[in-house]
Amino acid sequence: MSSQQVPPSLREILADIFEISPEQVTPELSAGTIDNWDSFRHLQAILAVEGEYGVQLDPQRIAELTTVSRIQSALEEKGAVL
Amino acid sequence: MQTDTERLDLRREIKDAASRYDAAAAVKLSRSLLASSVKPSDVMFCASAFAGIADALKDQLKAKRLKTCVVRSVTVEPILPHLSVEAVLSNYVLDLQIGGYGSYVDEMLNPQSALAKFKPDMVLVLLDLEDIAGRLPDLCADGIGAAVEQEIEESVAGIAQLLRSFRSGSSARLLLQGCVVPDLTSLGDVGDANLPHSLTSAVHQLNQRLAALCNSISDCVFFDVDHLAARYGRANWRDARMFLASRLPIAAGAFGIYARGLIRSLSALFRAPRKVLCTDLDNTLWGGVLGEDGPDGIATGTAFPGNCYLEYQMYLKQLSSRGILLAIVSKNNEADVREAFQVRAADLGLSLDTFVATKISWNEKSDSIRELAKELSLGLDSFVFVDDNPVECEAIRQQLPEVAIITAPVQEPWKLVELLAEQSFFDAAVVTDDDVNRLHEYKAQAQRADLASSAGSRDEFLASLGIVCTFLSALQAPLARSVQLLAKTNQFNLTARRHSAAEVEEFASSAGGQAIAIRVRDRFGDAGVVGLALARNEGDSCHIDSLLLSCRVIGRGIETALLAHLAQNAIRAGARWLVGEFIATKKNAPCADFYLEHGFVQQPPSQEVQTDSVFYQLDLTASTPASPHWLTLEGNESNEFAASTAVAS
Repeated sequence: MSSQQVPPSLREILADIFEISPEQVTPELSAGTIDNWDSFRHLQAILAVEGEYGVQLDPQRIAELTTVSRIQSALEEKGAVL
Repeated sequence: MQTDTERLDLRREIKDAASRYDAAAAVKLSRSLLASSVKPSDVMFCASAFAGIADALKDQLKAKRLKTCVVRSVTVEPILPHLSVEAVLSNYVLDLQIGGYGSYVDEMLNPQSALAKFKPDMVLVLLDLEDIAGRLPDLCADGIGAAVEQEIEESVAGIAQLLRSFRSGSSARLLLQGCVVPDLTSLGDVGDANLPHSLTSAVHQLNQRLAALCNSISDCVFFDVDHLAARYGRANWRDARMFLASRLPIAAGAFGIYARGLIRSLSALFRAPRKVLCTDLDNTLWGGVLGEDGPDGIATGTAFPGNCYLEYQMYLKQLSSRGILLAIVSKNNEADVREAFQVRAADLGLSLDTFVATKISWNEKSDSIRELAKELSLGLDSFVFVDDNPVECEAIRQQLPEVAIITAPVQEPWKLVELLAEQSFFDAAVVTDDDVNRLHEYKAQAQRADLASSAGSRDEFLASLGIVCTFLSALQAPLARSVQLLAKTNQFNLTARRHSAAEVEEFASSAGGQAIAIRVRDRFGDAGVVGLALARNEGDSCHIDSLLLSCRVIGRGIETALLAHLAQNAIRAGARWLVGEFIATKKNAPCADFYLEHGFVQQPPSQEVQTDSVFYQLDLTASTPASPHWLTLEGNESNEFAASTAVAS
């Protein structure tokens, strides 16, 4: 799948956090596929998207949000407009 | 407010600037991006851009590189990009090393720890209340608990031992973060406010004790994070969800203000405050234009809007009380200004006496500030300029870029004090008696200048001053003053080494070492401790590591007296040669020939080692420097004795 399937705003934030180009941010990008996605960047990414979209994610689920598509659907479930 | 296009343009420009290693442009653009963006990802973006140009920041902007260890018991990682970015905006580059959660004691005290091996310049100690005084919440639960005082006592003693033991093994600068006063406790607001041992009052007390502790340890600053939390709003400072799930002590929205506050606190350990505030008069010190409105028409006093200006005047007077020199730089008729200060004395928060100098004329303000710098023997980077006229401000910005500028808001005069207080340029973690006496001393200098023009020969003039020099150990100067002199003295400073307190102690306590301070007074006033020399005997040579004198007292032979005293000590400790060293800086040209003028012979540069140092040598068996006859000397006891008694006590 391509990065075009990720909303541009989310693509940009994650690109900034993981220090990669926005084109690399595909729905299936995950903690397993890039080194920069470690546990602390994970926390940074969650805080950044929460701040950007004005939502609070359930801490129980935060640890599971290890792919771009999971982050995207968790945000959508909270009513974020991506 | 920035539009998204502007934001994306700025990001593109930052990226371009970083890719061509243009540090100044990258910093300037990032400053404007972050001034209005609240997006955490923009901070990450800047952090990443800065990380790629660390060397350029250091080489082009002379950013200070600080190897920094973070010793912590909480999660700090998401805050680090904010910390790095704020550091760069204040011209530091942090090389960060982060310790483990539970291992801070071992890291700080074990000489084999990763921290010790890293040899940091700076250690940030960021602990949670739980780690500093974990029993307090329970002990304070009833609000009257008798054991609270003792728990605070023991907690402070524990931290004191940690910091003191660390200090005995390392000279790294230390920052200790205080505790945030809890917002909602089981006692409720009423109980918290009224009961003698509520958690709120206990944590306030704990913070005060920790601050006093930091004050007693050399090169250690207390970071009052609670003060920031209160300003930001306690209710939003912590995100309980993130603290409980990830031990993140601060809500994401407060990362920026936290990082800014932390960097501002640590700056006090590395930077000397500015020394002079130059203020304009019309629509700055008072409302209105004196030349048009007349002395009775200008706004000042207890009624609005005059009280906005009164607030500013009182703020200036407070700055003056701790040694910041005030000067008037105004385009006006001097006689009119004198009249206004007389006629409106009851409505003004300060008198003309509060100002160390006045430049009231129709000359360019940049010329006036240059003259002031010369008269006060201070660098332009010690100056702050406050003026309501944007054109005057821009002129100073272009012609004297070292001067810090505040543009007074004419339409909103109540904001001026806030604008001034937000800036860190007068921050000082230490204020010495010498700071407090500075205004008096500079005024005495003006009187001396008058005498100089009336007296005949230079010697006659100097003799008429009745100068008395007192030698004392640099540890008793007090030590904080010695370190301050090392940090602040630029013009007469032969090597400009900015030693820490621990390093001065080392000179004082090592065998054959010397750490001498000199105190100067004359019939016009007491200049306080104004000079310092550090030296060490190596074999039969005494090597002068540092020799410096405040520019206020240059030209009276005091530097020679200091050298002579040092030479006598060196001879007593068995030295045959006195070795002087000079390292040229941007500002110390006035003392470049100091050693040649005192009979030293310049040494050929070393073939093996590349160095900026020029070395000079004097054969003490052939001649010894002598103190000028017009100086009276006191406190001639050998400095090692003074030093060892100070250490023992």
